[in-house]
Amino acid sequence: MLVNWKYRPRDTFLQRLDPRARILYLACVTLAVTLSQVWDFRLLLPVCLISFALYFSGRLPWKDVRRAWTYMLLFLTLILGLNALLSGRGGPMAVLDVSRQTIIYQTGALIVPVTGWTLRLTLTVERIWFAATQMVRILSMVALAIPIPYTVDPSIYGVTFRRMGLPDKAAQTIDLAFRFVPTLGRDFGQTMDAQRARGYELESLRVGPLERLRRLAPLLVPVVMTSIVSGEDVVDAMDLRAFGTRPRTWLRADWLRFRGWDYALLGLGLALLVGFVSLRVLGYGGFWVPRFMYGLFA
Amino acid sequence: MGTMGAGTMTEKKNVWEFGTRQVVYGAIGAALYGVLSYVTNFIPLPAAGNVTFRPAVAVLVFFGVAYGPWVGFLAGLFGNILGDAISGFGFYWNWSLGNGLMGMLAGMAYGGMMNFRSTATIVKAVVWSIIGIGVGMLFASLTEMFTSGIDINTALVGYFTPAFLGNLVVVVILLPILMIAFAGVAAGRGR
Repeated sequence: MLVNWKYRPRDTFLQRLDPRARILYLACVTLAVTLSQVWDFRLLLPVCLISFALYFSGRLPWKDVRRAWTYMLLFLTLILGLNALLSGRGGPMAVLDVSRQTIIYQTGALIVPVTGWTLRLTLTVERIWFAATQMVRILSMVALAIPIPYTVDPSIYGVTFRRMGLPDKAAQTIDLAFRFVPTLGRDFGQTMDAQRARGYELESLRVGPLERLRRLAPLLVPVVMTSIVSGEDVVDAMDLRAFGTRPRTWLRADWLRFRGWDYALLGLGLALLVGFVSLRVLGYGGFWVPRFMYGLFA
Repeated sequence: MGTMGAGTMTEKKNVWEFGTRQVVYGAIGAALYGVLSYVTNFIPLPAAGNVTFRPAVAVLVFFGVAYGPWVGFLAGLFGNILGDAISGFGFYWNWSLGNGLMGMLAGMAYGGMMNFRSTATIVKAVVWSIIGIGVGMLFASLTEMFTSGIDINTALVGYFTPAFLGNLVVVVILLPILMIAFAGVAAGRGR
Protein backbone atom coordinates (compact mmCIF):
# COMPACT_ATOMS: atom_id res chain seq x y z
CA MET A 1 0.00 0.00 0.00
CA LEU A 2 1.42 3.34 -1.01
CA VAL A 3 1.16 6.17 1.47
CA ASN A 4 1.31 9.43 -0.40
CA TRP A 5 1.85 12.88 0.96
CA LYS A 6 -0.86 15.36 0.18
CA TYR A 7 1.77 18.03 -0.37
CA ARG A 8 2.43 19.24 -3.91
CA PRO A 9 4.81 22.11 -4.61
CA ARG A 10 2.85 24.97 -6.13
CA ASP A 11 4.10 28.48 -6.52
CA THR A 12 1.23 30.06 -4.61
CA PHE A 13 1.01 32.91 -2.13
CA LEU A 14 0.09 30.49 0.68
CA GLN A 15 3.12 28.26 0.02
CA ARG A 16 5.46 31.22 -0.13
CA LEU A 17 4.49 32.15 3.42
CA ASP A 18 6.76 30.86 6.17
CA PRO A 19 5.03 27.83 7.80
CA ARG A 20 5.86 29.27 11.24
CA ALA A 21 3.89 32.43 10.44
CA ARG A 22 0.93 30.32 9.32
CA ILE A 23 0.95 28.08 12.40
CA LEU A 24 1.29 31.09 14.72
CA TYR A 25 -1.51 32.90 12.88
CA LEU A 26 -3.72 29.82 13.28
CA ALA A 27 -2.90 29.81 17.01
CA CYS A 28 -3.78 33.52 17.30
CA VAL A 29 -7.09 33.07 15.47
CA THR A 30 -7.97 30.00 17.56
CA LEU A 31 -7.30 31.90 20.77
CA ALA A 32 -9.02 35.07 19.52
CA VAL A 33 -12.29 33.38 18.57
CA THR A 34 -12.40 30.92 21.47
CA LEU A 35 -10.72 32.49 24.48
CA SER A 36 -12.35 35.89 24.05
CA GLN A 37 -15.92 34.44 23.78
CA VAL A 38 -16.78 37.01 21.12
CA TRP A 39 -20.14 36.01 19.61
CA ASP A 40 -20.75 39.04 17.38
CA PHE A 41 -21.21 37.86 13.80
CA ARG A 42 -20.01 41.24 12.49
CA LEU A 43 -16.64 40.70 14.15
CA LEU A 44 -16.30 37.01 13.31
CA LEU A 45 -17.20 37.30 9.62
CA PRO A 46 -14.10 39.36 8.61
CA VAL A 47 -11.85 36.83 10.40
CA CYS A 48 -13.54 34.01 8.50
CA LEU A 49 -13.18 35.88 5.20
CA ILE A 50 -9.45 36.41 5.80
CA SER A 51 -9.08 32.68 6.53
CA PHE A 52 -10.83 31.81 3.26
CA ALA A 53 -8.76 34.40 1.35
CA LEU A 54 -5.65 32.61 2.62
CA TYR A 55 -7.23 29.23 1.83
CA PHE A 56 -8.04 30.17 -1.77
CA SER A 57 -4.60 31.72 -2.24
CA GLY A 58 -3.29 28.13 -1.91
CA ARG A 59 -5.20 27.16 -5.12
CA LEU A 60 -5.91 23.64 -3.82
CA PRO A 61 -7.82 21.45 -6.30
CA TRP A 62 -11.25 20.44 -5.01
CA LYS A 63 -10.63 16.74 -5.68
CA ASP A 64 -7.69 16.85 -3.23
CA VAL A 65 -9.55 18.47 -0.36
CA ARG A 66 -13.04 17.07 -0.98
CA ARG A 67 -12.74 14.33 1.65
CA ALA A 68 -11.51 16.70 4.37
CA TRP A 69 -14.23 19.26 3.64
CA THR A 70 -16.97 16.62 3.46
CA TYR A 71 -15.96 15.35 6.88
CA MET A 72 -15.72 18.84 8.36
CA LEU A 73 -19.04 20.01 6.91
CA LEU A 74 -20.81 16.87 8.13
CA PHE A 75 -19.34 17.45 11.56
CA LEU A 76 -20.30 21.12 11.50
CA THR A 77 -23.85 20.36 10.43
CA LEU A 78 -24.60 17.31 12.54
CA ILE A 79 -22.89 18.14 15.79
CA LEU A 80 -22.45 21.88 15.93
CA GLY A 81 -25.33 23.03 13.74
CA LEU A 82 -28.01 20.83 15.28
CA ASN A 83 -26.65 21.40 18.78
CA ALA A 84 -26.76 25.16 18.30
CA LEU A 85 -30.15 25.10 16.60
CA LEU A 86 -31.95 22.81 19.01
CA SER A 87 -30.43 23.61 22.38
CA GLY A 88 -28.03 26.55 22.00
CA ARG A 89 -25.67 24.70 24.31
CA GLY A 90 -22.11 25.94 24.37
CA GLY A 91 -23.26 29.44 23.52
CA PRO A 92 -23.80 32.60 25.55
CA MET A 93 -26.71 33.04 27.98
CA ALA A 94 -28.71 34.85 25.28
CA VAL A 95 -29.23 31.57 23.42
CA LEU A 96 -29.62 29.37 26.49
CA ASP A 97 -32.44 31.20 28.23
CA VAL A 98 -35.56 30.57 26.10
CA SER A 99 -37.66 33.05 28.09
CA ARG A 100 -35.68 35.92 26.52
CA GLN A 101 -35.92 34.63 22.94
CA THR A 102 -38.32 34.96 20.01
CA ILE A 103 -39.91 31.53 19.60
CA ILE A 104 -40.61 30.32 16.04
CA TYR A 105 -41.69 26.76 16.78
CA GLN A 106 -42.00 24.66 19.90
CA THR A 107 -42.85 20.97 20.30
CA GLY A 108 -45.05 19.63 23.06
CA ALA A 109 -43.47 18.50 26.33
CA LEU A 110 -42.15 14.95 26.32
CA ILE A 111 -41.76 13.41 29.76
CA VAL A 112 -39.02 10.80 30.00
CA PRO A 113 -40.24 7.72 31.89
CA VAL A 114 -38.63 6.90 35.26
CA THR A 115 -36.50 10.06 35.37
CA GLY A 116 -39.40 12.47 35.00
CA TRP A 117 -37.31 14.81 32.85
CA THR A 118 -39.25 17.12 30.54
CA LEU A 119 -37.92 17.49 27.01
CA ARG A 120 -39.15 20.22 24.68
CA LEU A 121 -37.47 21.33 21.47
CA THR A 122 -37.71 25.05 20.90
CA LEU A 123 -36.62 26.77 17.71
CA THR A 124 -35.94 30.46 18.14
CA VAL A 125 -34.63 33.34 16.04
CA GLU A 126 -31.65 33.65 18.36
CA ARG A 127 -30.73 29.98 18.01
CA ILE A 128 -30.89 30.08 14.20
CA TRP A 129 -28.52 33.04 14.20
CA PHE A 130 -26.35 31.39 16.81
CA ALA A 131 -25.97 28.35 14.53
CA ALA A 132 -24.81 30.65 11.72
CA THR A 133 -22.41 32.46 14.06
CA GLN A 134 -21.04 29.17 15.33
CA MET A 135 -20.42 27.96 11.75
CA VAL A 136 -18.52 31.14 10.86
CA ARG A 137 -16.48 30.86 14.04
CA ILE A 138 -15.40 27.27 13.37
CA LEU A 139 -14.80 27.84 9.65
CA SER A 140 -12.36 30.64 10.56
CA MET A 141 -10.10 27.98 12.10
CA VAL A 142 -10.85 25.07 9.76
CA ALA A 143 -10.04 27.08 6.61
CA LEU A 144 -6.57 27.70 8.07
CA ALA A 145 -6.02 24.14 9.36
CA ILE A 146 -7.05 22.10 6.32
CA PRO A 147 -4.47 23.48 3.83
CA ILE A 148 -1.46 22.79 6.10
CA PRO A 149 -0.78 19.19 4.95
CA TYR A 150 -1.27 20.21 1.31
CA THR A 151 1.01 23.23 1.37
CA VAL A 152 3.81 22.53 3.87
CA ASP A 153 6.68 20.33 2.64
CA PRO A 154 6.89 17.23 4.91
CA SER A 155 10.68 17.58 4.99
CA ILE A 156 10.53 20.92 6.81
CA TYR A 157 8.13 20.06 9.65
CA GLY A 158 11.08 19.22 11.94
CA VAL A 159 13.03 22.41 11.36
CA THR A 160 9.80 24.44 11.48
CA PHE A 161 8.97 23.23 14.98
CA ARG A 162 12.64 23.55 16.01
CA ARG A 163 12.61 27.21 14.96
CA MET A 164 9.40 27.64 16.95
CA GLY A 165 11.26 26.69 20.12
CA LEU A 166 10.89 22.90 20.29
CA PRO A 167 14.00 21.12 21.69
CA ASP A 168 16.44 19.68 19.16
CA LYS A 169 15.66 16.06 20.03
CA ALA A 170 11.89 16.52 19.75
CA ALA A 171 12.32 18.26 16.39
CA GLN A 172 14.56 15.40 15.26
CA THR A 173 11.77 12.98 16.23
CA ILE A 174 9.37 14.75 13.86
CA ASP A 175 11.95 14.78 11.10
CA LEU A 176 12.66 11.07 11.48
CA ALA A 177 8.95 10.19 11.74
CA PHE A 178 8.23 11.83 8.39
CA ARG A 179 11.16 9.95 6.83
CA PHE A 180 9.94 6.59 8.18
CA VAL A 181 6.44 6.94 6.69
CA PRO A 182 7.08 5.69 3.12
CA THR A 183 9.07 2.68 4.41
CA LEU A 184 6.42 1.70 6.93
CA GLY A 185 3.66 2.14 4.36
CA ARG A 186 5.54 -0.19 2.03
CA ASP A 187 6.16 -2.72 4.87
CA PHE A 188 2.46 -2.73 5.71
CA GLY A 189 1.54 -3.38 2.08
CA GLN A 190 4.05 -6.23 1.78
CA THR A 191 2.87 -7.79 5.04
CA MET A 192 -0.74 -7.61 3.92
CA ASP A 193 0.13 -9.27 0.58
CA ALA A 194 2.21 -11.97 2.30
CA GLN A 195 -0.54 -12.79 4.79
CA ARG A 196 -3.17 -12.91 2.07
CA ALA A 197 -0.97 -15.31 0.11
CA ARG A 198 -1.15 -17.55 3.21
CA GLY A 199 -4.94 -17.43 3.19
CA TYR A 200 -5.41 -14.54 5.62
CA GLU A 201 -8.65 -12.64 5.14
CA LEU A 202 -10.35 -9.93 7.08
CA GLU A 203 -12.95 -8.40 4.84
CA SER A 204 -15.20 -11.42 4.31
CA LEU A 205 -15.04 -12.93 7.79
CA ARG A 206 -18.34 -13.89 9.40
CA VAL A 207 -17.24 -13.38 12.98
CA GLY A 208 -18.08 -10.92 15.73
CA PRO A 209 -16.51 -7.46 16.02
CA LEU A 210 -14.07 -8.42 18.78
CA GLU A 211 -12.83 -11.45 16.87
CA ARG A 212 -12.28 -9.32 13.77
CA LEU A 213 -10.28 -6.88 15.85
CA ARG A 214 -8.17 -9.73 17.26
CA ARG A 215 -7.52 -11.01 13.75
CA LEU A 216 -5.76 -7.75 12.92
CA ALA A 217 -2.81 -9.07 14.93
CA PRO A 218 -1.23 -10.99 11.99
CA LEU A 219 -1.01 -7.64 10.21
CA LEU A 220 0.05 -5.41 13.09
CA VAL A 221 2.58 -7.65 14.82
CA PRO A 222 4.99 -8.23 11.88
CA VAL A 223 4.97 -4.54 10.88
CA VAL A 224 5.56 -3.30 14.43
CA MET A 225 8.22 -5.87 15.31
CA THR A 226 10.14 -5.37 12.05
CA SER A 227 10.22 -1.62 12.69
CA ILE A 228 11.47 -2.19 16.23
CA VAL A 229 14.29 -4.44 15.05
CA SER A 230 15.36 -2.02 12.30
CA GLY A 231 15.14 0.86 14.79
CA GLU A 232 18.09 -0.59 16.69
CA ASP A 233 20.29 -0.04 13.63
CA VAL A 234 19.16 3.57 13.40
CA VAL A 235 19.96 4.10 17.10
CA ASP A 236 23.44 2.65 16.58
CA ALA A 237 24.06 4.76 13.48
CA MET A 238 23.00 7.95 15.26
CA ASP A 239 25.05 7.15 18.35
CA LEU A 240 28.11 6.49 16.18
CA ARG A 241 27.63 9.95 14.69
CA ALA A 242 27.51 11.42 18.21
CA PHE A 243 23.87 12.48 17.96
CA GLY A 244 22.80 14.74 20.79
CA THR A 245 26.26 15.84 21.88
CA ARG A 246 25.91 19.20 20.12
CA PRO A 247 22.99 21.19 18.67
CA ARG A 248 22.27 19.77 15.23
CA THR A 249 22.23 21.71 11.99
CA TRP A 250 19.31 21.55 9.56
CA LEU A 251 19.77 21.16 5.85
CA ARG A 252 16.70 23.15 4.92
CA ALA A 253 16.89 25.81 7.60
CA ASP A 254 17.43 28.49 4.96
CA TRP A 255 13.98 27.69 3.54
CA LEU A 256 12.51 29.35 6.58
CA ARG A 257 12.78 33.11 6.41
CA PHE A 258 10.33 35.72 7.62
CA ARG A 259 9.50 38.17 4.87
CA GLY A 260 7.14 41.13 4.69
CA TRP A 261 3.93 39.11 4.31
CA ASP A 262 4.92 36.82 7.18
CA TYR A 263 5.37 39.78 9.51
CA ALA A 264 2.08 41.21 8.27
CA LEU A 265 0.27 37.91 8.97
CA LEU A 266 1.81 37.65 12.43
CA GLY A 267 0.92 41.28 13.17
CA LEU A 268 -2.65 40.67 12.02
CA GLY A 269 -2.91 37.56 14.21
CA LEU A 270 -1.66 39.39 17.28
CA ALA A 271 -3.92 42.38 16.55
CA LEU A 272 -6.93 40.05 16.30
CA LEU A 273 -6.06 38.33 19.55
CA VAL A 274 -5.44 41.52 21.51
CA GLY A 275 -8.40 43.24 19.86
CA PHE A 276 -10.92 40.47 20.58
CA VAL A 277 -9.82 40.03 24.19
CA SER A 278 -9.89 43.81 24.76
CA LEU A 279 -13.37 44.10 23.27
CA ARG A 280 -14.74 41.49 25.66
CA VAL A 281 -12.99 43.08 28.62
CA LEU A 282 -14.61 46.40 27.66
CA GLY A 283 -18.00 44.71 27.34
CA TYR A 284 -18.32 44.60 23.54
CA GLY A 285 -18.58 41.68 21.13
CA GLY A 286 -21.46 39.86 22.85
CA PHE A 287 -24.08 37.85 20.97
CA TRP A 288 -25.79 39.90 18.29
CA VAL A 289 -28.81 39.20 16.08
CA PRO A 290 -29.56 41.39 13.02
CA ARG A 291 -32.97 43.08 12.97
CA PHE A 292 -33.98 41.50 9.64
CA MET A 293 -33.99 38.07 11.33
CA TYR A 294 -36.90 39.12 13.56
CA GLY A 295 -38.70 40.50 10.49
CA LEU A 296 -38.27 37.20 8.65
CA PHE A 297 -40.12 35.24 11.32
CA ALA A 298 -42.61 37.91 12.43
CA MET B 1 18.93 1.09 29.48
CA GLY B 2 18.03 -2.28 30.78
CA THR B 3 19.07 -5.54 29.18
CA MET B 4 16.60 -8.16 28.13
CA GLY B 5 16.81 -11.90 28.12
CA ALA B 6 13.79 -13.96 27.10
CA GLY B 7 11.78 -10.76 27.29
CA THR B 8 12.81 -10.08 30.86
CA MET B 9 14.34 -6.80 32.05
CA THR B 10 17.16 -7.24 34.53
CA GLU B 11 18.25 -3.64 35.28
CA LYS B 12 16.45 -0.70 36.82
CA LYS B 13 15.12 1.65 34.15
CA ASN B 14 15.15 5.43 34.10
CA VAL B 15 11.56 6.23 33.15
CA TRP B 16 12.29 9.84 32.12
CA GLU B 17 15.46 9.20 30.11
CA PHE B 18 15.44 11.03 26.77
CA GLY B 19 18.35 9.97 24.57
CA THR B 20 18.90 8.68 21.05
CA ARG B 21 16.83 5.54 21.66
CA GLN B 22 13.81 7.60 22.75
CA VAL B 23 14.18 9.92 19.74
CA VAL B 24 14.31 7.00 17.30
CA TYR B 25 11.51 4.95 18.87
CA GLY B 26 9.39 8.07 19.35
CA ALA B 27 9.76 8.65 15.61
CA ILE B 28 9.01 5.03 14.71
CA GLY B 29 6.00 5.03 17.05
CA ALA B 30 4.73 8.29 15.51
CA ALA B 31 5.23 7.03 11.96
CA LEU B 32 3.51 3.72 12.75
CA TYR B 33 0.64 5.43 14.51
CA GLY B 34 0.18 7.87 11.63
CA VAL B 35 0.47 5.25 8.89
CA LEU B 36 -1.67 2.62 10.62
CA SER B 37 -4.35 5.19 11.45
CA TYR B 38 -4.45 5.97 7.75
CA VAL B 39 -4.23 2.49 6.22
CA THR B 40 -6.69 0.84 8.58
CA ASN B 41 -9.29 3.27 7.22
CA PHE B 42 -9.37 0.97 4.20
CA ILE B 43 -10.05 -2.15 6.28
CA PRO B 44 -13.69 -2.55 7.30
CA LEU B 45 -13.82 -2.57 11.06
CA PRO B 46 -16.77 -3.10 13.33
CA ALA B 47 -18.48 -0.17 14.92
CA ALA B 48 -21.35 0.17 17.35
CA GLY B 49 -23.34 3.38 17.24
CA ASN B 50 -20.77 6.11 16.85
CA VAL B 51 -18.02 4.03 18.48
CA THR B 52 -15.38 3.20 15.88
CA PHE B 53 -12.25 1.17 16.45
CA ARG B 54 -8.82 2.64 15.74
CA PRO B 55 -6.43 -0.33 15.98
CA ALA B 56 -3.39 1.95 15.71
CA VAL B 57 -4.08 3.10 19.29
CA ALA B 58 -2.79 -0.27 20.52
CA VAL B 59 0.52 0.43 18.76
CA LEU B 60 0.73 3.89 20.28
CA VAL B 61 0.24 2.72 23.87
CA PHE B 62 2.55 -0.23 23.24
CA PHE B 63 5.40 2.15 22.37
CA GLY B 64 4.73 4.01 25.61
CA VAL B 65 4.74 0.77 27.61
CA ALA B 66 7.87 -0.59 25.89
CA TYR B 67 9.99 2.59 25.74
CA GLY B 68 8.67 5.00 28.35
CA PRO B 69 6.50 8.10 28.69
CA TRP B 70 8.52 10.40 26.41
CA VAL B 71 8.33 7.91 23.55
CA GLY B 72 4.59 7.47 24.18
CA PHE B 73 4.07 11.23 24.26
CA LEU B 74 6.05 11.92 21.08
CA ALA B 75 4.49 8.98 19.26
CA GLY B 76 0.97 10.17 20.13
CA LEU B 77 1.56 13.88 19.53
CA PHE B 78 3.46 13.64 16.26
CA GLY B 79 1.72 10.45 15.12
CA ASN B 80 -1.63 12.22 15.19
CA ILE B 81 -0.19 15.25 13.35
CA LEU B 82 1.26 12.83 10.81
CA GLY B 83 -1.96 10.84 10.44
CA ASP B 84 -3.88 14.07 9.83
CA ALA B 85 -1.20 15.17 7.36
CA ILE B 86 -1.40 11.91 5.39
CA SER B 87 -5.21 11.89 5.42
CA GLY B 88 -5.32 15.58 4.55
CA PHE B 89 -7.58 16.46 7.47
CA GLY B 90 -5.58 19.47 8.63
CA PHE B 91 -3.94 20.29 11.93
CA TYR B 92 -5.82 19.94 15.22
CA TRP B 93 -3.56 20.63 18.19
CA ASN B 94 -5.94 19.50 20.93
CA TRP B 95 -6.49 15.99 19.55
CA SER B 96 -2.76 15.64 18.89
CA LEU B 97 -1.97 16.70 22.45
CA GLY B 98 -4.68 14.35 23.77
CA ASN B 99 -3.07 11.46 21.87
CA GLY B 100 0.30 12.50 23.30
CA LEU B 101 -1.10 12.36 26.84
CA MET B 102 -2.58 8.94 26.09
CA GLY B 103 0.85 7.58 25.09
CA MET B 104 2.63 9.35 27.94
CA LEU B 105 0.40 7.93 30.66
CA ALA B 106 0.60 4.45 29.14
CA GLY B 107 4.37 4.95 29.37
CA MET B 108 4.13 5.27 33.15
CA ALA B 109 3.96 1.47 33.18
CA TYR B 110 7.45 1.32 31.63
CA GLY B 111 9.30 1.49 34.96
CA GLY B 112 7.72 -1.75 36.16
CA MET B 113 8.03 -3.68 32.90
CA MET B 114 10.20 -6.61 33.94
CA ASN B 115 8.73 -9.48 31.97
CA PHE B 116 6.54 -8.68 29.01
CA ARG B 117 5.02 -12.16 29.10
CA SER B 118 3.86 -12.20 32.71
CA THR B 119 0.17 -11.71 33.39
CA ALA B 120 0.83 -9.17 36.15
CA THR B 121 2.95 -7.01 33.83
CA ILE B 122 0.40 -7.19 31.04
CA VAL B 123 -2.41 -6.24 33.43
CA LYS B 124 -0.36 -3.31 34.71
CA ALA B 125 0.32 -2.13 31.15
CA VAL B 126 -3.36 -2.41 30.21
CA VAL B 127 -4.44 -0.51 33.34
CA TRP B 128 -1.99 2.37 32.69
CA SER B 129 -3.07 2.42 29.06
CA ILE B 130 -6.74 2.70 30.04
CA ILE B 131 -5.85 5.58 32.38
CA GLY B 132 -3.97 7.16 29.48
CA ILE B 133 -6.91 6.73 27.13
CA GLY B 134 -9.25 8.24 29.73
CA VAL B 135 -7.10 11.29 30.42
CA GLY B 136 -6.02 11.84 26.81
CA MET B 137 -9.48 11.58 25.32
CA LEU B 138 -11.01 13.62 28.15
CA PHE B 139 -8.48 16.40 27.51
CA ALA B 140 -9.20 16.40 23.77
CA SER B 141 -12.97 16.23 24.27
CA LEU B 142 -13.09 18.98 26.89
CA THR B 143 -10.89 21.32 24.85
CA GLU B 144 -13.46 20.94 22.05
CA MET B 145 -15.72 23.00 24.34
CA PHE B 146 -13.42 25.97 23.72
CA THR B 147 -12.51 25.30 20.10
CA SER B 148 -15.93 24.17 18.83
CA GLY B 149 -18.14 25.87 21.38
CA ILE B 150 -19.93 22.68 22.38
CA ASP B 151 -21.31 22.12 25.88
CA ILE B 152 -20.00 19.59 28.38
CA ASN B 153 -22.76 17.05 27.64
CA THR B 154 -21.89 16.97 23.94
CA ALA B 155 -18.18 16.79 24.81
CA LEU B 156 -18.71 13.82 27.10
CA VAL B 157 -21.42 11.95 25.21
CA GLY B 158 -20.56 12.86 21.62
CA TYR B 159 -16.77 12.79 21.82
CA PHE B 160 -15.32 11.27 24.97
CA THR B 161 -17.52 8.19 25.40
CA PRO B 162 -17.17 6.80 21.85
CA ALA B 163 -13.44 7.58 21.72
CA PHE B 164 -12.82 6.07 25.16
CA LEU B 165 -14.86 2.90 24.58
CA GLY B 166 -13.46 2.25 21.11
CA ASN B 167 -9.85 2.71 22.24
CA LEU B 168 -10.43 0.67 25.41
CA VAL B 169 -11.62 -2.37 23.46
CA VAL B 170 -8.70 -2.09 21.03
CA VAL B 171 -6.13 -1.88 23.83
CA VAL B 172 -7.58 -4.75 25.88
CA ILE B 173 -7.48 -7.04 22.83
CA LEU B 174 -4.34 -6.00 20.96
CA LEU B 175 -1.89 -4.70 23.59
CA PRO B 176 -1.29 -8.11 25.25
CA ILE B 177 -0.64 -9.65 21.81
CA LEU B 178 1.93 -6.95 20.99
CA MET B 179 3.61 -7.33 24.38
CA ILE B 180 4.00 -11.09 24.05
CA ALA B 181 5.36 -10.71 20.51
CA PHE B 182 7.79 -8.04 21.76
CA ALA B 183 9.08 -10.37 24.48
CA GLY B 184 10.01 -12.87 21.77
CA VAL B 185 11.73 -10.23 19.60
CA ALA B 186 13.64 -8.80 22.57
CA ALA B 187 14.80 -12.27 23.56
CA GLY B 188 16.03 -12.91 20.02
CA ARG B 189 17.89 -9.60 19.86
CA GLY B 190 19.29 -9.86 23.38
CA ARG B 191 18.39 -6.24 24.26
